[in-house]
Amino acid sequence: MADPAKVRSAKKHSILSHESMKAIAESVGVSGLQDEASLHLAEDVTYRLKMTIQEAVKLMQHGKRRKLSPADIDNAFKIQNVEPLYGFNAPDFVPFRHASGGGREVFFQEEKELDLQDLINGALPKIPLEVSLKAHWLCIEGEQPAIPENPPPVSKDLQKLESIDPSIKASNDKLQKPKPLAEIARAKHKAKDLVKMKQHATHELSVEQQLYYKEITEACVGADETRRSEALTSLATDPGLHQMLPRFSAFISEGVKVNVVQNNLALLIYLMRMVKSLMDNHNLYLEKYLHELIPAVLTCVVSKQLCMRPDVDNHWALRDFAARLIAQTCKNFSTSTNGIQTRITKMLSATLQNEKAPLASHYGAISGLAELGPEVIKAFIIPRLKIEGGRIKSLTEGALVNSVDRISGDHIKTQLVKLVSPVLKTIRKPPDSVEEYKEEYGFLGNLLYLSVTKLRQQPATTSSQSRPTVTLTQQKPQLLVQTSLGSSLPRTPTTPRTFQTSSSLINRTPGTPTTPGASQKYVILTQGGSSTLTSVSGSFTPTQTVVRVVTNTQSAGATTISTSTPKFLVMPGSQNTGNNNNTNT
Amino acid sequence: MEGNSTETRPQAANGASTNGSSTDKQTLYAVLQYLRKNNLKETETLLKKEANIQDDDVPKEQQSQNASEVSQALAAYKSEGDPSLYEDFYTNLKNFVEQSLDTYKGELAALLYPVFVQMYLELIYNGHEVAGQIFFIKFSQEQESYYEDDLIKLSTVSKKEHMQGNQLMESFRTSRFVIRMSRESYTQLKRYLQEKKQALLLNIIQERLFIDVYDGLPRTKQQIDVTSGGMSGEARREANKSKVLYGLLKEPDINISLDDDDDADGEDKDKPKKKKQKKDLLSMKKSKNDPNAPSNTRIPLPELKDTDKIEKANAYKEALKRVKITQENKPSICFYTLLNSYENTTSIEISEDSSILSAGFSDAVIKVWSTTPNKLRCMKTGVELDMIDKDVDDVLERMMDDRTASEYKTLCGHSGPVYSTSLSMDKNFLVSSSEDGTVRLWSLLTWSNLVCYKGHISPVWDVTFSPHGHYFASASHDRTARLWATDHYQPLRIFAGHLSDVDSIQFHPNSNYIATGSSDRTVRLWDVLGGNCVRILTGHKGAIHCLRFSPDGRYLASAGVDKTILLWDLANGTLVGQLKGHTGTIYSLSFSRDGSVLASGGMDNCVKLWQVSKVFNSQDSEGDLNVPANVDLNENYEFGSYQTKATPVLCTHFTRRNLLLASGPYTPS
Repeated sequence: MADPAKVRSAKKHSILSHESMKAIAESVGVSGLQDEASLHLAEDVTYRLKMTIQEAVKLMQHGKRRKLSPADIDNAFKIQNVEPLYGFNAPDFVPFRHASGGGREVFFQEEKELDLQDLINGALPKIPLEVSLKAHWLCIEGEQPAIPENPPPVSKDLQKLESIDPSIKASNDKLQKPKPLAEIARAKHKAKDLVKMKQHATHELSVEQQLYYKEITEACVGADETRRSEALTSLATDPGLHQMLPRFSAFISEGVKVNVVQNNLALLIYLMRMVKSLMDNHNLYLEKYLHELIPAVLTCVVSKQLCMRPDVDNHWALRDFAARLIAQTCKNFSTSTNGIQTRITKMLSATLQNEKAPLASHYGAISGLAELGPEVIKAFIIPRLKIEGGRIKSLTEGALVNSVDRISGDHIKTQLVKLVSPVLKTIRKPPDSVEEYKEEYGFLGNLLYLSVTKLRQQPATTSSQSRPTVTLTQQKPQLLVQTSLGSSLPRTPTTPRTFQTSSSLINRTPGTPTTPGASQKYVILTQGGSSTLTSVSGSFTPTQTVVRVVTNTQSAGATTISTSTPKFLVMPGSQNTGNNNNTNT
Repeated sequence: MEGNSTETRPQAANGASTNGSSTDKQTLYAVLQYLRKNNLKETETLLKKEANIQDDDVPKEQQSQNASEVSQALAAYKSEGDPSLYEDFYTNLKNFVEQSLDTYKGELAALLYPVFVQMYLELIYNGHEVAGQIFFIKFSQEQESYYEDDLIKLSTVSKKEHMQGNQLMESFRTSRFVIRMSRESYTQLKRYLQEKKQALLLNIIQERLFIDVYDGLPRTKQQIDVTSGGMSGEARREANKSKVLYGLLKEPDINISLDDDDDADGEDKDKPKKKKQKKDLLSMKKSKNDPNAPSNTRIPLPELKDTDKIEKANAYKEALKRVKITQENKPSICFYTLLNSYENTTSIEISEDSSILSAGFSDAVIKVWSTTPNKLRCMKTGVELDMIDKDVDDVLERMMDDRTASEYKTLCGHSGPVYSTSLSMDKNFLVSSSEDGTVRLWSLLTWSNLVCYKGHISPVWDVTFSPHGHYFASASHDRTARLWATDHYQPLRIFAGHLSDVDSIQFHPNSNYIATGSSDRTVRLWDVLGGNCVRILTGHKGAIHCLRFSPDGRYLASAGVDKTILLWDLANGTLVGQLKGHTGTIYSLSFSRDGSVLASGGMDNCVKLWQVSKVFNSQDSEGDLNVPANVDLNENYEFGSYQTKATPVLCTHFTRRNLLLASGPYTPS
């Protein structure tokens, strides 16, 4: 049968080899099986096996499964009046091991010896969870509600497709809705003009979505912590958010701009938590909005000032949190074409190298860089240790020490020691000497030496430091309302330097994958009276981002955004060039 | 293998010497006759045994059939079965089909598959294993894709010994493969066979195939494909000739409840009358004397109890609030997800009034949930029951023990996976079928097992209660379906005829008929009264896992492994619709209460809605049985498709108000 066996297609006609017959025969104590006999056996066993499998497939189908299980084979044996195999369990993967010798190759399943004592004394396996019944609406009058129990209405792939080619969305919309007459007329007009126009993708929100947006944004920045966590969970899990994503992105971006100027630490923290939730939502195609989110997050990492009282408030936690967000962004979205990680690293190291930048910014830059991994620490932080040390020394031990500088210096010092020591431990060979450390790292040498030697003594497993959890103690959030404009702005608005860096970061490297062509983006946020939020975008491009906030003109100077939500976010005077200085034209 | 080939070679040489000239029709004829004369002397006794040799002018190899029982006959058979001839003859037949006119081509091509199978089996049977395999490899690729499954099964049979006890073999050897053909095509075929005089081929066609000739235009390839696919070919037309009383029982519900209400409870008198009037307004067309309806006494049905009447009254009341589902007014779907079931759920069923959901699991357990706020309760113990005043109005309520109320109850008793459960109309009983070969009847008042019905010897795939209670029917791996009554421990009827597993079973709304779907890819309709098969419906290309009658009883929907839903008109057994769109096995079908919409669900995690009223409306005129189904089967009737996250849909069910319920186990990958 060997010749036809070769000819047969493997799918339908695979057959057991007579060598395996011999091996199996030996394993049950029959030696010297004749070739002829083993050939016949092989054929017959193959036939019986195939029959068994055919029966087992029936059992699988009736068991409503896609996967054949050992129980199916057992039951198939039972149907055929064959004694089933005992003691086979069903691990997902059956590891076969290979052994060869004496010119034969054998695959076998390793059977480990088990100590019964261990089995008896060992902890019992967990009881599987009880089967439970849960009801939800799969569809309501033909519409599938966007709830976590249902699949996302627009899959991530489709979102991506739409972001690359907005015309897909436009055409999809058109398929669903009949074209209004005006549009047809316009189309005719267009055809006459023979000008190739890009199709506009409109983002219209339904009334429910507007309500949801309002509720969520209110809850996220409101005073009620339980509502906030609910809202954040909703952001992190709900499948149907992609329609509102541009708004959330704008909300966060604008919110950060405003609140950095206002030094409102609490709100900045809330906004960062929103970013975190959005990033955790697997159903969202976030790439399209990174050009808004990254600058906002980076601002919270390296901004000169993030709170009213830098000496008291814990803005360090915010910087750490935002730094982790940045690291997560890099991990999730960085590709060789958009080079997010490179650009972020460049920007952070530029801050670190800027002698004039305040210590707080340096702290942020160090945290941000450290989150990107030990390689980054090695390349960007360690060479700066000496300079940084000198700076801290001069600021904390000099004659004119103010408390802010002293606290900042301490924070950087502890942060540096904490972050750098594990890396130093791996790159430096023992024995360590204090003198060498002092020689190489200056002011911080002594501390680093102590920390590294301490680390060396600890067992390797415990050396990884536990990350601080994201519990942020913060002052009561202040809602900035337009009327409180005057009172809440006693300080001179500090120009957030970081916006320049972040925008320049984007300006320098054009052509992220989400940027087809270069044009401008307008976010038009209408007044509260109109019911729909309409953002008309030619195409989304971070290369030349112009954020124009179109509002009512009666509030001269003060510019409000997002008027469909309560006005708790206030744009400072338009003379504040820090917000809009990245206008390129 | 050397031994085999050397064995076959001399035979081949023999065959060549005797049959070498046989390609020439005249010589073949002469030689065969000569051989027969020669052999007569040696095997005279044998030939007498083979008395059914027909005295046609062409000799026949009748032996093959009898040989399966009589091994001595093998020798005579062998000498004729030259393996090389099979290949030639098959190629010859193929060429004839290809060269024939386009009009006949489709019908003639239907011959190829059965001839191929029979030739292969003859080769294998006569020990020409190598030749058989070469033959198989050469031609199996050309067969229709929907025979793929059978071909795979066929390919496992490579030795004579394998043929015994093989289910597929038995069906091929015991039943004739049916091919429906127009008279013109048949004439073409006859002419070809007469010209060629290929004994082998002629024998196969005459003995193993049944050619059902009709007068009319030859069908196109497409038309044939739609109805072919069955394990034994298409259904014979005679099989579907008998009359099926598909109408509903003579307004059984209303009349009975009316009459009985008049007799029994006077206070309910005006109520049902009102209902009746409104009922008539509803779209359900219930003519007073439906000529197609069986009489209410055709089979004995249990009398309605008071509680049943109240239930019926409720049903009517609810039906009045029914929503009409149309393309514009789509239904809402409430989905019941079974969580933490670890791929263990084997069946889900929802009671007629949508208040109870039962599920069978592969660990032999049945769980019953209440879908309403009313919890499930046990009946009180005998002592406690004694103390209840039996004349109180709410005696039924008092019988129940509130201390035992719970969200769900578990029923243990089977010893294998529970493949199906079914709830009786009055919600007092549940029947379940299991891999252990038993059907069990459970009481939902005491939550205990009442009867264990042993009869099937193999796994019981499906079980269903009659819509009138009392009866239930089961379908099993042993290729039979059985009808049981709750008060008999032995089956009342055994429906045998399917060639493979009976995978699904369903009662007709009038309880007089039972439909079964099988792995032999046919749907059969059985008369409960006589136990005979009254319809054979072919067209599926895979095992049939679910069946559902339309509420008016005239149509049947079936679906299964082939991902296609087929709609049948029971009046004449024709295919009236084909609904394609699912991408996985379909395990559930459900008609809306007005019969206008069909919902389906399956392994592709999708609930789909189909506007079947369109199909039925176009079918209102009684079709002519002789004219083959000529329906536009490509029209798309789907008007809704709802994906779940990762939940196969094992159950769909319309409530009395036409809210769609669906259910399945959450199985993340």
